[in-house]
Amino acid sequence: MLEWLNTHIAYWHWLVLGLLLITAEIFVSGFILFWFGLAALAMGVLLMLVGIPITGQLLLWAAMSVALVFLWLKFIKPNWKDRTTSGMAMEALTGQVGSVIESNIGRPRGRLRFPAPILGEDEWQFMSTSEVAIGERVKVLNISGNTLVVSPL
Amino acid sequence: MEGLSVVAALVVLVIITIGMGVRIVPQGSKHIVQRLGKYHSTLNPGMNIIIPYVDQVPYKVTTKDIVLDIPSQEVITEDNATIIANAVAYINIVSPEKAVYGVEDYEIAIQNLVQTALRSIVGEMSLDSALSSRDMIKAKLKEAISDDIADWGINLKTVEIQDINPSATMQKAMEEQAAAERQRRATVTRAEGEKQAAILEADGRLEASKRDAQAQIVLADASREAIERVTRAISDKELPVMYLLGERYIGALENLSSSDNAKNIIFPADLPNAVKGLLNR
Repeated sequence: MLEWLNTHIAYWHWLVLGLLLITAEIFVSGFILFWFGLAALAMGVLLMLVGIPITGQLLLWAAMSVALVFLWLKFIKPNWKDRTTSGMAMEALTGQVGSVIESNIGRPRGRLRFPAPILGEDEWQFMSTSEVAIGERVKVLNISGNTLVVSPL
Repeated sequence: MEGLSVVAALVVLVIITIGMGVRIVPQGSKHIVQRLGKYHSTLNPGMNIIIPYVDQVPYKVTTKDIVLDIPSQEVITEDNATIIANAVAYINIVSPEKAVYGVEDYEIAIQNLVQTALRSIVGEMSLDSALSSRDMIKAKLKEAISDDIADWGINLKTVEIQDINPSATMQKAMEEQAAAERQRRATVTRAEGEKQAAILEADGRLEASKRDAQAQIVLADASREAIERVTRAISDKELPVMYLLGERYIGALENLSSSDNAKNIIFPADLPNAVKGLLNR
């Protein structure tokens, strides 16, 4: 069996496998099979140059695939930013800066206003651990229902 | 051969593991990751890596606005009238982990909250103000439940009152009231008109009498004037008057004699004296 495989698996088998895997990526979500296919193509090219036993071939292919996937996830993908905060209320609000129009001194909550409406409203209630006066600028840290948690800039 | 089997199994395992470990979350939803049954993290839209075998994704939560239909219900106002009200709430899940762990079913929970809050708000209002001040109800409703749902990581964007309808019997009574009111106004208007007409008529009569009186006065004045003039004219000259009167007298006698039922006409012999007798001279 092993001998048969060693004699019958040629470099083009790997190339075909690679192309098939890359094609299969279209039907499977996740953008993972693509890297296995790429590794298989690389394996085929490597077989053209040097002869490797079948076990080594499989191991090398698995190792290359994992390495490619790791590189992709670790270094390339994180640099892709969110292009919209639509449908992400938390991300849309946190970090926004507004100005206080009703101070929270002596009261549990005050009110702030954003220069442009966020989530359909430009005036929000806010809570803060520190007391902020009218006109001060505050930054949104978190949302609790219809109340923002803020800290002064 | 054994080596080959192990390597093949390992390759399959690696592929499956990596396939399981990659989670693509579409924009507009977030996934909750549990590590061995405990909450671990929330996956944002895009590609995410989880550790297979220990991490599961039990909840996939939409972060788009949810339109919640609040079923219609009977509400009793402060003045004991029954109205039927329904609403629609727009909510947004801000913290998916709070929404899935904080409450069993947030949709039912919020529907019930809105219903009870609506009941208590309308219960403090009279029927007329409940029917006419939707904006106030809306503001109070939002205020009342936004703190309750804050604990579930849900932001209430707005609550819109769709319909506020009085119940059927109430509607009938209100229509009757409106009709009666119109009837009353019609009656009053009619009476006002009649009164006005009577006043105008009396005014007319008064005015007419005044004019009549004035006319009589003018007539009397004219008669007096005429008599005075005649008196002045005949003060010491009898003959022209006598002549005129005599002419008239004879004319009258002519008329008498030409009438059908006149049998005999007796002319006075002494005409001047007869006329004098008319004048008392």
